[in-house]
Amino acid sequence: MIGEFIDGPLWYFSITAFVIGVVWRIVAIVRAGLKPDLSIARGSAGSGAVRAIFSRFVPERTVTTRSRLQLIAGYMFHVGLLVLLFFAQPHVDFIAERITGFDWPAVPHWVFIVTAEFAFAGLILLWLHRVLNPVTRLLSDLDDHIGSILVFLVMLTGCLALAQSHESLRLLHLFLAEVFLIYFPFSKLMHAFTFVMSRGYTGATMGRKGVNA
Amino acid sequence: MSEQFEQGVAALRNQIDARISSYLSSCVHCGICAEACLFYTETQDPRYTPIHKIEPLKKLWKTENTFWGKMAKSMGLIEPLTESDFAQWEELIYDSCTLCGRCSMVCPVGNDITYMIRKIREGFSVAGYAPDGMKEATKRALNIGSPMGVTLKTLKAALAHVERDTGLSIPIDKANADYMTLFSSMEIVNFPEYIESIAKIFDTAGVSWTISSKAFEATNSGIQIGNRDAAAELVGRVVNAAETLGVKYVVSPECGHAYTAIRWEGPNLIGRAYDFEVIHILELLDKLKVEGRIKLSGKDDTPMTLHDPCQIVRRGGVVDPPRNLLNSVADHFTEMQDHGVMNWCCGGGGGVSANERAEPLRLKAFDRKKHQLEELGVNTMVTACANCRIILEEGLEHNEMDTEVVSLTELLAEHLQSGNT
Amino acid sequence: MRTPAHHKTVPHALGVFGIYLLGLCLLLFSTLVDAQEKQPKELPTVQMMNPAAEFWRDVRQRSAPVSGKTQVGGVETGVLINATGDRWRQFRMSQLIPISGYILGGMVILLVAFYAIRGRVPIEGGMSEHKLPRYTGYERMIHWFMASIFIFLAVTGLILLFGRPLLIPVLGKEGFSILASASKEGHNLMGPLFLLALVMIIIQFVRRNIYQKGDLSWLIRGGGIIGKKHVPSNFFNMGEKTMFWLLVFVGGLIGVSGLILVFPVLGLGREIMALAHVGHAIGAILMITVIIGHIYIGTVGMEGAIEGMKTGYCDLNWAKEHHDLWASKAEENGEALSNQEVAKMRGDRGSVPPVHSGLQESGK
Repeated sequence: MIGEFIDGPLWYFSITAFVIGVVWRIVAIVRAGLKPDLSIARGSAGSGAVRAIFSRFVPERTVTTRSRLQLIAGYMFHVGLLVLLFFAQPHVDFIAERITGFDWPAVPHWVFIVTAEFAFAGLILLWLHRVLNPVTRLLSDLDDHIGSILVFLVMLTGCLALAQSHESLRLLHLFLAEVFLIYFPFSKLMHAFTFVMSRGYTGATMGRKGVNA
Repeated sequence: MSEQFEQGVAALRNQIDARISSYLSSCVHCGICAEACLFYTETQDPRYTPIHKIEPLKKLWKTENTFWGKMAKSMGLIEPLTESDFAQWEELIYDSCTLCGRCSMVCPVGNDITYMIRKIREGFSVAGYAPDGMKEATKRALNIGSPMGVTLKTLKAALAHVERDTGLSIPIDKANADYMTLFSSMEIVNFPEYIESIAKIFDTAGVSWTISSKAFEATNSGIQIGNRDAAAELVGRVVNAAETLGVKYVVSPECGHAYTAIRWEGPNLIGRAYDFEVIHILELLDKLKVEGRIKLSGKDDTPMTLHDPCQIVRRGGVVDPPRNLLNSVADHFTEMQDHGVMNWCCGGGGGVSANERAEPLRLKAFDRKKHQLEELGVNTMVTACANCRIILEEGLEHNEMDTEVVSLTELLAEHLQSGNT
Repeated sequence: MRTPAHHKTVPHALGVFGIYLLGLCLLLFSTLVDAQEKQPKELPTVQMMNPAAEFWRDVRQRSAPVSGKTQVGGVETGVLINATGDRWRQFRMSQLIPISGYILGGMVILLVAFYAIRGRVPIEGGMSEHKLPRYTGYERMIHWFMASIFIFLAVTGLILLFGRPLLIPVLGKEGFSILASASKEGHNLMGPLFLLALVMIIIQFVRRNIYQKGDLSWLIRGGGIIGKKHVPSNFFNMGEKTMFWLLVFVGGLIGVSGLILVFPVLGLGREIMALAHVGHAIGAILMITVIIGHIYIGTVGMEGAIEGMKTGYCDLNWAKEHHDLWASKAEENGEALSNQEVAKMRGDRGSVPPVHSGLQESGK
């Protein structure tokens, strides 16, 4: 019975909460308003924004030495998570069945496994960095830890269900994913969407000034 | 006391716009900005992490704009912004940040942290939590017209001196001139050679220029202390003078934040676009050189390097002109490893130089520049900001280094080929 | 004075030692299995009742597996019944599982008893006003990375090993099958990360773990655990060094045998798989036993022991009592920092009093 609930109503509730929450957050940010810049532009704000949205994927040299492990772990986790989320066969099947109605090629099983290894290593290292490094230790709050732990639990239960032989393991994974989706809009996990806005705003301002940021 | 604090909080609340909301939503506390900040790299004190400096702003946003924050506040789990937050953070906001903007260049989610520190100062200055040195400077700027207390009389004395030395006459309050130049107080008091240099260059190039007796001060303490009203008042004086004289351009001098103030923040502070354009002296010199109105001769073979003033280069966008100009007079110009938009600050911008309390920290942060110079092994450092110049000279003296600090404009004036038109 | 060349030979010798150890384990395994094999006589001698038994006996090929011909491609597809499989099963059920259980249980009982007798080893001079930087952030990160992977693998591995006797009675067969499936998948997925962590640990810590003069006297004096007197040692003491090399060699054995088990595609036969499993299990039990001791010292066993790995700094008095050779040198080099400086560097909230703002002075 609880399984039916997780698979049915709770899934629809969580995905709705996620979508509405994310849209609401983004609208709230935009509605906070931005005064028009009256100074005469030297360069283009638009191209500055687009440039920053992409250029910030590559770290500046000045931070690549001492934060090296953090950067590597960051890439491992984020790239790994994206691949797992959208290109693992079970996920493709799930999304095709529940949301899109069509599917797309998934990565081979061994790529899936290797990606999961990378994502786990990255996430664990990033969280350890968070609690051990004086800077991140000072900055981190409860939300950061809840976010990390939730992602970890979703990933972990996913990998525990890899055999796809027990419905209860699949439901556990799904349940945690639903909790994650509901928590998402209320938390720092929103950075997955708002980073585009932040980079865009900064890039636009700097672009007007003629600086490649 | 409490009323003023409330006003400060209200002022801070007013700063939260779409940019700040998106920045605060995006920050994942990765701490990478720390590595870009010279106050952190030189002290290894995690409190100097740039994003940590805006904690009071984050707290306000969290308790008033986020679900958990509002809930936690209503349940009494977190206390709202208090006066003791302001007291604790004052040092972080004013002493350990030069608004140099380096952190904003490295943030992976693209947050303009410097913008937020600039904005948080608005709340702090209204609440009265700002260093005495900066408060005094702002008061002097508003009452006397210059943060260093330079009056028109002082300027006229300096100009008379320049006229005597150069044999040129310096036009004051000349209506409909093309360019109206501004100076920073430091140039008038410490580096009159700068005035001499531009007088010579403008004369050679046949530039129609003038100085306003109503507004000759370029610096803007209101920007540094983070007070909108004061900043707008100071910008307004320049705008009025320029529009009364009917000039086409206002020339921002070799001073970092003055350029940011008049060029980028000014129109937004007074709420309208200007009737004239703002040009930085380096942009103007580059333009004159390209147009062939000035010719430079005799290359210097002393090895030289360039210290980029943050507000002119990274935050101002004048990146190439200083390099073009320096290359045309120097044979051995080498860049420091971090240069251009990623240069390291002198440590005294953003009002830190006006804040005596910050001096030990500023001198510690200078280790970064010292390291850069030692790494490069060049003993002549060219720059284009009077404040940088003073700070660099102090730092070099403190470290007993024999590096020479040269103004780019003055260097160019030395290489000016006279009577070439 | 020992020459540095001598130092280099030590790990080599250890490597050989490790291989001997492995050989010994395998030998032990086979003799035990043989012993088992020779006495199935407890069964009542029943006259042959199944006429097909003779036939199956031939098929089974008791003495050695015989490969027949088949069109099915793959490893050992020509073998109908592999008798050694049963030997392996016997060993696992009646020796490996119970003996491992006694060893782990014994270790826990031993530590409880030790704690009851000796109690928490205090810092005799008390906490000092100074600290020494002991581990960098990177070192702490890879240590805890290894720790988290190790604990996860140990727990899932033990579930798989002891599931039948310990968990089925509690969870029932249905429940345990879910847990076992989850543990197996998790164990296999995280396994390779153990090797990654191991490589990172080796690269970072190997130089400080080479045996040197003074280590032997540490061993002879029982590491100071038995007596009351502390024995001087360098950055790592003999016990820590030995644990490091155990991790390297036994951990390496666990990792490699684990890979063999996860990737049957490599073309290895069942015999090797059975050996890999036995090596994996024995190595893991040994390592878990050692690590339980390691965790004991870090948590309840000794005051100040975990500080270095937690914060990066250790108490100066602790360092002098336990790693005197290193601590004295570090102190001479002026590496010691006051507690206040350390608190500042670590960004402990409230470690720095707020500066007095202009507020009070401007008369408000």
